[in-house]
Amino acid sequence: MSEVSTVAVLPPPVPGAPPRTRAPRPERWTMDNGLRVIALPRSTVPQVVLRMAFAAGSAADPAEFPGTASLTGGLLTEGTETMSADELNARLDGLGAAVHASVGHDFAEVEAVFLSETLAEGIALVAEVAIRPTFPEREVERIRAESLDAILSRLDEPANVAEDRSALEVFGPAHPYGHPPFGTAEGIRTVPREALVAFHAAHYRPRGAFLVASGDFDTAELRALLDDAFAGWTGEPPSIGYAADADVALAAGQLVVVPWEDAAQSEIRLAGLGLDRHSPDWFAGSVANYVLGGSTITGRLGSNLREDKGWTYGARSYFLPGLALGGWLAETAVDVEVTAAAVEEMLGEMRRLVDERVPDDELRRAKDAMILSLPRYFETPSGVAGRFVTLEAYSLPHHYWDTFADRVEAVTAEDVQRVARQVFHPDRVVRVVVGAVPEGH
Amino acid sequence: MSTIISSTIRIPSTTRVLANGLRVVAHEDPSAPIVTVHLMFRAGSRDERPGRTGLAHLLEHLMFEGSQHAPKGHFDDALERVGGSNNGSTWLDRTNYYETVPTHAVELPLWLERDRMAFFLPMLTGEVLELQRGVVMNERRQVIENRPYGKADEELHELLFPPDHPYSWPTIGYMRDLEQITLEDARAFYQTYYTPGNAVLVFAGDIAADRAFELAERYFGDLPAGPELPPPPAPVMPPAPNGARRVMDDDVSFPRIMQAFAVPAYGTPDWIALDVLAYLLADGDSSRLQRALVRDGRLAQDVDSYLYPTALCGVFGFVSTARSEVEPEALEHAIRQVVDEVIENGVTDEELTGAVRRVRRDQVSELATVEERADALAYAATVLGDADAVHTVLDGYAEVTTDDLRRVAAEYLVPERGATLVVVPRPGQDDEDEEAGDE
Repeated sequence: MSEVSTVAVLPPPVPGAPPRTRAPRPERWTMDNGLRVIALPRSTVPQVVLRMAFAAGSAADPAEFPGTASLTGGLLTEGTETMSADELNARLDGLGAAVHASVGHDFAEVEAVFLSETLAEGIALVAEVAIRPTFPEREVERIRAESLDAILSRLDEPANVAEDRSALEVFGPAHPYGHPPFGTAEGIRTVPREALVAFHAAHYRPRGAFLVASGDFDTAELRALLDDAFAGWTGEPPSIGYAADADVALAAGQLVVVPWEDAAQSEIRLAGLGLDRHSPDWFAGSVANYVLGGSTITGRLGSNLREDKGWTYGARSYFLPGLALGGWLAETAVDVEVTAAAVEEMLGEMRRLVDERVPDDELRRAKDAMILSLPRYFETPSGVAGRFVTLEAYSLPHHYWDTFADRVEAVTAEDVQRVARQVFHPDRVVRVVVGAVPEGH
Repeated sequence: MSTIISSTIRIPSTTRVLANGLRVVAHEDPSAPIVTVHLMFRAGSRDERPGRTGLAHLLEHLMFEGSQHAPKGHFDDALERVGGSNNGSTWLDRTNYYETVPTHAVELPLWLERDRMAFFLPMLTGEVLELQRGVVMNERRQVIENRPYGKADEELHELLFPPDHPYSWPTIGYMRDLEQITLEDARAFYQTYYTPGNAVLVFAGDIAADRAFELAERYFGDLPAGPELPPPPAPVMPPAPNGARRVMDDDVSFPRIMQAFAVPAYGTPDWIALDVLAYLLADGDSSRLQRALVRDGRLAQDVDSYLYPTALCGVFGFVSTARSEVEPEALEHAIRQVVDEVIENGVTDEELTGAVRRVRRDQVSELATVEERADALAYAATVLGDADAVHTVLDGYAEVTTDDLRRVAAEYLVPERGATLVVVPRPGQDDEDEEAGDE
């Protein structure tokens, strides 16, 4: 300690003017068959990220077979018209490519990551898996069995149980968002192979689909490769119908406890409806959420439960955007003995945001954190691709990222309070606890 | 035959050593207006002693609780106000702290790190210790105890290493040890290891090397060197566990087989060959283990192989989860057969080329951010002794031959060098009452 005291105390540095972030400006075009393409070339690393999305999420599942969309996505890379599954996998692995399909509520997506030197062959293979899969019987049965095992495994983890239950309570059993996108064991067990073929034929169509390419490529070359790879592919998918309203009004205010024997912690979720992605309040909602739980350490939830009390490793909250409806969720996991107290503290923080105007300084910090962190969004090919997938998926304006900073800056304390009343009101959320039963509730 | 792939990535850097021993590494890349400042200490859970496991990681938590001129809450708050992000992590061989900020704010993380390197102890109180002890215990509950298969890695390492080997205990520490750590333990660890001579400071991103060195001198040049540490322990291979095995039960629906082998340390030619072998065996649906266990064999839901880039020795592992109605022994047998086949007959040129390309693909993805590049440079400086040695590793993959893969499989992945853990679903409620508790 004595040697430490000889060190001078330096004044805290004063940062200069922040850089004004310029979001990448993509080249956009629509192919003759209707596929929208968003190209973001930049040669920072020898890599190309392709993300291709189709209106083929679980919301389009046939009512009798929940899990059809998920199984269909999982089988895209399991054999095509020109290649068996083994041949396809050997080609992809030989290129060092990573190609994966994922299926959410609204979209099915094929994501491919290539070394740039393998782009031409890579695009041809992406087209092959997206538009010409053959669903071989043998692979269908394997993926079916693996999916059933995965559904069972998922329920071994309390955090998963809490997440699934929250969605069910908020959106209700009639809405696609009330169920996990991977479907049900019954649906997966019984769906015939022909239904997967039919689902693919109907929903994997170029109109309404889009492809985002980001990384080290030449746009003219990309265009020629895409024209070649997707030649002859045409059509438009049926539109997906969503149930009109969620059941949240029925469930709001409820406490749902899922007992979990020998739980080391209780998993807590406070869940409710969020905002439409196009809502003029989206930016105010984002700022409000940042203040409450957007940052695990400095957000009010994390500050209270972790930094003041040491009850948890983390607490945070976030919006879950959807094409039809939005959700909102606050989550934490705490020591079993403080379960009830933790729920009360979280509700208390929500109520405080509803009842009290957020102080200027806290508002300033949230805005600065959101605006000044923009350069990191656009650092890597996958980061850039992700930002533009969001724009396309929700049909947001092309200048969205150019105006993001100004939209955040325009949010006032009154805006925050107005959105908080709408989203964070304690009476509008369901409380879900997986673990110990909180006493006195 | 070796394979040549053009998409290699470079992380050019310059190193200077300050008078107090702090090694400063600068890597300039102006393609985004951000800079990562990364401070890595050559201290990890391997520097703990049995009975005080978890100390290095707990100290990492304490370092965020405020220093004399940046009191509690200030660290994250100040960085968020400039659009920065920060974190720290503790592993077997090192502890790191890093901040990524827009270019205009590069001095802020330096000032904050200086403050907790020079003015931390006055703020380290019993109250602060108790609070973070609670957070870390909840981290252990959340990440290990309340998660399926969460304790398996810990048990596997206990099998692979003798109890006095510093890789035998988990970085997060045992609950019983976390309870015992005192203020004095934390102070002593800080004073021993958190010194300029035991640290590497990396700048990566939109900053010229000259300015990085000038800032390093301004914020760290006057810190006292601190006591000299003994040189780090030489790489040492632990004794072979002679096929040690254990069966543990857990609240899971499916059995899982886990195997680990102690192998040469990070950066050695054999480590690089083993990394290629790990990709060749299990990365990608056409790989040998995927085919034998998942796709053709239909025994497993998944199979993976991994290799730790650690300093005293590497750890090579297999992990696979059984499908319904499949016994874990069948997975163990299938894995053994695949490895024996490599030892017996080697691998093909095509397999090697594909595996190296998949390594490159992941390296390119990982090293796309200045944050990850700073980490790679700091780790090379800490573990290999020189930041530029990161290129010895990155370039080493092009030298690997099919003969190398066969040789390292035969030398290291043999049954007597392995430890095996079988995780099985916990018996039903009726049986449970008869089992002895372990608390």
